[in-house]
Parts: sequence; C-alpha cells; structure tokens
Amino acid sequence: MLSISNQPEEKGAILTEAVAKPTPAQGQMRRNPPLAGELDAIQAAQNGDDAAFEKLYSMHKRRVYSLCLRMVSNVAEAEDLAQEAFLQLYRKIGTFRGDSAFSTWLHRLTVNVVLMHLRKKGLPQVSLEETLEPSQGEGPRKDIGTRDLHLSGSLDRVGLERAVGELPPGYRLVFVLHDVEGYEHNEIAGMMGCSIGNSKSQLHKARMRLRDLLKNGLEHGQKEGAN
Amino acid sequence: MNAEKINSASGDCAEFQDRLPELLGENQDPRNDAHLASCENCKELVSDLMYIAQQAKLLLPLHDPSPEVWNKIEAGIKTAPKS
Repeated sequence: MLSISNQPEEKGAILTEAVAKPTPAQGQMRRNPPLAGELDAIQAAQNGDDAAFEKLYSMHKRRVYSLCLRMVSNVAEAEDLAQEAFLQLYRKIGTFRGDSAFSTWLHRLTVNVVLMHLRKKGLPQVSLEETLEPSQGEGPRKDIGTRDLHLSGSLDRVGLERAVGELPPGYRLVFVLHDVEGYEHNEIAGMMGCSIGNSKSQLHKARMRLRDLLKNGLEHGQKEGAN
Repeated sequence: MNAEKINSASGDCAEFQDRLPELLGENQDPRNDAHLASCENCKELVSDLMYIAQQAKLLLPLHDPSPEVWNKIEAGIKTAPKS
C-alpha cells in the first residue's frame, strides 16, 4: 500500500509504500457508460484475442493516458505509465469479473500503476507536503479592504490545465484524483494510505495554490493587455 | 480602535480558514457560514475555491498517446504471461 506518514498530520506527509489491487470505486467517481462493443471486446480479450485487446486499447487509451499525464505532468513518463497500465491490463484482464464498470476498474488499475511508479521513483522521500512560502501556504489572511481579482467566470480549460501542471506533485495527485477524477477522500486515503483529514488538507492546499497560480496568470494578462 | 477591529476580523478569518478544508472536504456549502456575512475576502476566497473545483470537473481526457505507445505494448504482450 502507498501510505503517507503524517506526523504531524499536516506536515511532512510522505509516501512510503505500494498500492493495492484494482478494486471497484465506491464513491462518485466519474463514470463513462460502456462503450459500444466493449463487452464483446473484453470477453474476447479474456479468451486471448489480441485484436480484441487492441480494440480495448483504442477505446480507452485517451482516458488512461490523460489520467497519467495529469498525475505526473510529463509526456514521456505518462506514455511509459500508460504502456505499463495496458500491459498490466493484458496480464490481469482475466480477473475482471464485471463487478464494476470496466472503465472504472481500468481507471483504478491505472491510478495504482502511477502511484507505484511514483513510489519506485522515490516518493518515499518525496513529501506530499510541499514547502510553501507562508503567503502561499496560509492563504489570503489579508487585511480587511484588500481586493482580489475574481476568478469566477474568467477561467478557461487551457489555463487550468497549465496551472494543474505547475502544482507540486503531491498536491497535483490529490487534486487530480478528487476534483478531476471524482474520487472521494476516503478512497484517496485508502489508495494512498493516508488519513482522510490529510487528503482534505492536501486538496485544500492544492486549490489554494491553484488560486494563486491562476490569479497571477490573470494579473499578467491584464498587465499585458494594458501595455 | 480601527487596528483592534482589523485584528479581530483577521482572527475570525484565520479561524474560518482553518475550518475551511473540512467544510469543503465534507462537500458542505461554506457560503452559509456566518463569518462570510461580514467578510468579503473570505467570501471571495470560498467563491474562488468552489469555482476551481467546479471547473476541474470539466477537464476531460483530451490527450492521445503517441502511436509508439501501442507499438511498445504490442511488443510487450508477445512475451507477457496472462493471469
């Protein structure tokens, strides 16, 4: 199991272990309806039909790769991870029993591949609690009267994608799993072996950091527009 | 006098923001919190954080891997044992 040592809970959270087998998600994870021909392809692939496996790859490559890319924010690494996820799928597809949607099962398998990779890469030493400047980590505890730039209505997908890519790895993981992929805190805590409180805290700090990044981007845009 | 008011208000902000991860984490709506009735900064903060969370759900999987990925998978499955 991947775990996050969190003593104290809010500081120095560290990934320390591996991950579990893919299991059905229990929460409100974003689900896709079964794709046309998916069930037939699964059954054929389970019977050793490699063409059917390629079909499954075509159906799910975008989702798997996009998930990997968002989690690691590196194209080459994400492609390696997508490759590993599908190789694991090939080895394990016989164990898929349809207790959950195939896309959910594959999604969880992919998350586990990424988390395992990060552990091997050195996440035992990589803190999920990134070092932050007080102004970034503590948020806008500002004097009354200070006005901020509003984000609402100003955010586009590209800008948010870019900002997510700039998040420190630990923050990005929890943000992607919760806010993008729809995992619940108890699921994230289970996958990463941390407390639910730690997951909530990391998510909050990720959003705060994103807010800073996005506002800085907006401010730059306004200055450039004025020049 | 004014300084005391600001300190007092800032203290409320710190207390509110300490509770915020839990409030948002429980999928509660913190916009009804009493503190926000008198604090524009925290109101704006909550609005921004909820907006970010909302927009994140719109980040669809839009990236395709290069064809090389399948080539490697295909090479890998030729030697891979199946469960």
